[in-house]
Amino acid sequence: MGTVQGSTQQITLSRRLSGIARYVLLAIPLLFLAVFFLLPLGLTILVGFFERAGFWIRPAFTLAAYQAFLGGPRLFVLQRSLFVAAEVTVLALALAYPMAYFLSMHVRPQVTRTVLLLFTVPFVVNYVIRNFSWAYLLSRTGPVNRLLEALHLTAGSLDWLLYSDFSVLVGLISSYMPFMIYPLWLALAGVDRRLIEASWVLGAPPLLTFLRVTLPLSIPGIFTALIFGFVGSFGESAVPIILGGVGYQLMGNTITSALDVLNYPLAAAMSSIVVVVMLLFLAAWYLLFDVPAFLGKIVRWRV
Amino acid sequence: MDEVAARLSRREFLRAAAYATAGASLLRLGPLVSWAGAAAAKKGTLSFADIGVGDPGGDWSKFTNATGWGVNLVAIGNAPSQILNVLIAGGGKGVYDVINIVGGMQKPLVENDLIIPIATSRLPNWGKDAYISEFLSSGKPGFEFIGYKGKIYGVPTVLQGDSFAYLPEKTGQLDSYAALFDPKWKGFVALEDNFTTAGQKTALYLKTNKLATIKDPANMTPGEIRTVIDFLIEKKKEGQFRVIWTSFEQAVDLLTRREVYVMDCWEPMVFAARKKGVSAVYARPKEGYLLWAMAAYIVKNPQRPADREKGAYDLLNFMLDGWYGAKITLLRGYMTNPQAVAYAKANAGDFSAAEAAEVARIHDNVRSKFRLGGTWQNRWPTYVEQYESEWARFKAAPSK
Amino acid sequence: MKRRVGVGLVAWIYVFSILLFLYLPLVPPILFSLAPVAGGNAPTVHWYGELWRNPVLVTSIKTSLLTGILTALLTPPLGLLAAMGVRELRAPRAVLLLLLMPLFIPGVSMGLGNAFLFRLLNIPPSLWTILIAHVLWALPFAFLIILTAMTTFDPVYLEAAYVHGAGRLRAFLDVELALIAPGITGAATFSFILSLNETVRTGLVQGPLNTVQTYIWSTYLQVGLSPTIYALMSLLILLTVALVLVIRPMMARRAIRVTL
Repeated sequence: MGTVQGSTQQITLSRRLSGIARYVLLAIPLLFLAVFFLLPLGLTILVGFFERAGFWIRPAFTLAAYQAFLGGPRLFVLQRSLFVAAEVTVLALALAYPMAYFLSMHVRPQVTRTVLLLFTVPFVVNYVIRNFSWAYLLSRTGPVNRLLEALHLTAGSLDWLLYSDFSVLVGLISSYMPFMIYPLWLALAGVDRRLIEASWVLGAPPLLTFLRVTLPLSIPGIFTALIFGFVGSFGESAVPIILGGVGYQLMGNTITSALDVLNYPLAAAMSSIVVVVMLLFLAAWYLLFDVPAFLGKIVRWRV
Repeated sequence: MDEVAARLSRREFLRAAAYATAGASLLRLGPLVSWAGAAAAKKGTLSFADIGVGDPGGDWSKFTNATGWGVNLVAIGNAPSQILNVLIAGGGKGVYDVINIVGGMQKPLVENDLIIPIATSRLPNWGKDAYISEFLSSGKPGFEFIGYKGKIYGVPTVLQGDSFAYLPEKTGQLDSYAALFDPKWKGFVALEDNFTTAGQKTALYLKTNKLATIKDPANMTPGEIRTVIDFLIEKKKEGQFRVIWTSFEQAVDLLTRREVYVMDCWEPMVFAARKKGVSAVYARPKEGYLLWAMAAYIVKNPQRPADREKGAYDLLNFMLDGWYGAKITLLRGYMTNPQAVAYAKANAGDFSAAEAAEVARIHDNVRSKFRLGGTWQNRWPTYVEQYESEWARFKAAPSK
Repeated sequence: MKRRVGVGLVAWIYVFSILLFLYLPLVPPILFSLAPVAGGNAPTVHWYGELWRNPVLVTSIKTSLLTGILTALLTPPLGLLAAMGVRELRAPRAVLLLLLMPLFIPGVSMGLGNAFLFRLLNIPPSLWTILIAHVLWALPFAFLIILTAMTTFDPVYLEAAYVHGAGRLRAFLDVELALIAPGITGAATFSFILSLNETVRTGLVQGPLNTVQTYIWSTYLQVGLSPTIYALMSLLILLTVALVLVIRPMMARRAIRVTL
């Protein structure tokens, strides 16, 4: 009897110890993020209100940087960034969704995995070189224009292929669309086939089944994809530099430009605005969609 | 069951051991990284930050054999922010020994306590460099590229005068910056995305042709900057510019693909285009050149041991040497130091006769630019913030 | 039946057109890497040999590989702990939000913030500062991938392990970890690729080290790309395609044989 009691006690003790150890272990990534992520962002927001002191900054509370941004030509860059990022995301989604649908519904997993991996291959090539290749392909005298002329589709070379909104779209879509396929495929592959079959059995035509069953169930994946596309294009700085036209700028470029003259408060203020815009999106995502539910049973165990 | 468990744990143990070994060998790779490229270095490795121009094809063997120091070259961007961020925000003060960038950055560098004055007596090659006394000595406008408040801070490693490039097959001979704004080439003109090059050349053009009242194109007042930018925005609205380029590679391709016919750019881009079979020409504009020099600075680090500081001085001296000068001239197309020409001619083992002739030709060409004059590039004008924000206005303005 | 085959064909043509679009910009680097040597006209593989004679490039390749490997080793465990944290800790929603936030912050902002912090803490730039920036960037991706893998894992298996007398750790190692292993290797692969491609953040904390990316970026800006760099890119393309098309299916076949 006594021995049994002793061992029970031992078990509770070890459970409790392992409980503490567990919390310590699980807190490691959070601590990492608190120090190297939250702290730097806090610093950035703070610096946005500082004033310049020579080439460095001095603690203060001034709105000068925000006034310079909101009252200057850079506000246009913010508008353009929001617009372009939205445009890219929607177009890329329209391209990626049918593909993810096909791969998840009609292709063997073995083959799907290889195809999905093929989408990651271009990313081992430096993005500068990839976008620079686009500049070559789309230039006035480049292969695309020559091909169009050889096929008698165009008379002269098309100017708008390069250094235009079009080329920026090409660069951004080819950079971020592949990132979007993965979450879409994950969400679609996770759709319970029995629901689709049930819909068929109940006599719904394929399109209706898609609209009523598959599409709603894949919405969390769509939103994840939207975020991958939007955040990527919104903060992009290389594509506008390489493929943009006369002074084409997105937020990334204008922040770098302010850093060029060591205007840290202005750079920090613009950075903070970007961060706030992004956090608003995060909040919307989080409130509109039951993210934990999407991310699964894991969370439901506890909540 | 027990057997299985035992085998499992043995396998896990073996796997863990394999991981540990892999991890340990990785940790040993760490020092390997910093030591690479310094095979014969006995004393250690100097940390050398450079914008890419000062790299002699990775070959530091002559320096290492002579001094025992290896060189670890770190490529950094040329934007003032990059440089200062690397040194200020990035903590590069404790890391770099020498930093080689476009000169004229002494004011921010000295006022931030980032570089030290140079004792030229510790540089045997300093006195042999006639270019310094001719173009960069105290009292001359070129001094701004290496000195500050009467003291020398930078060793000039490269000298050059910039204008613009054009394709004679399309435009015929051109000899004025007016070509950049000529409606004849509308849509076939490119500018550099840089207010101290494109902006300053435009100012030089407006001033010498009396199109605007600008006292000093190298250091404009906020009003003068506004005038220049208004002019550029006007041209941009008319659709004059095809693109504002940001990189060497892009500029070369604009020429070789005949994407543009007239382009504000650097001369080595013309050399690169010619190597690819395009007969581009670098203009000799009647308004003069945008003159500039690169400078190597010693980064301030009070903890640096004396022998390491001597190593840094040795490196600066090496960069004023004939072999290094000739090598950089050949690789980048810039004028370096007077000894380069003689060295290339005298050392057939290092440089062929054709290469020696090329070095001499480039040096003659650049020297003649300096004699013609123009405006000295100002990397850090008094109203630099207005320059930047006005340039942002130009870039954000609508085109056509 | 006939109609289905037709639809499948159209779909495959669509998938391959998109792949073609994405692979199109990989063709010029391969062509440029075969550039003739000065004075010649014939394509050569000269630059592939030249690659290893450029010490700056070789050093940056080593740094990139080292950083990539370390990122791939460190990020998945952190991601795994974080994913378990979402399950075990009190406030899963807060944890989730915090972990996803880095996805929303553009590189310039993050790099600048990190550089500010390192300066404040007097941490000199080194391989470790680069590594921190890279792990920070890769962590949310790794976390999401592992979390997704976990959602497909049915906790009933864990219960079964407990019933058979396994301890928490043993049940976790033998049952759960084994089942979510694809998620972890996926996270490692992703972390490696993200690390290899990172430029903006690296540029602000790199200190005395070049990665291939920062080297290419500054070369691109200042002195122009060389056939040597194109050769490096072409090698990377060929290696990766080989890995995807040849080695993986081979390994998969072997795995099937073993299970049989």
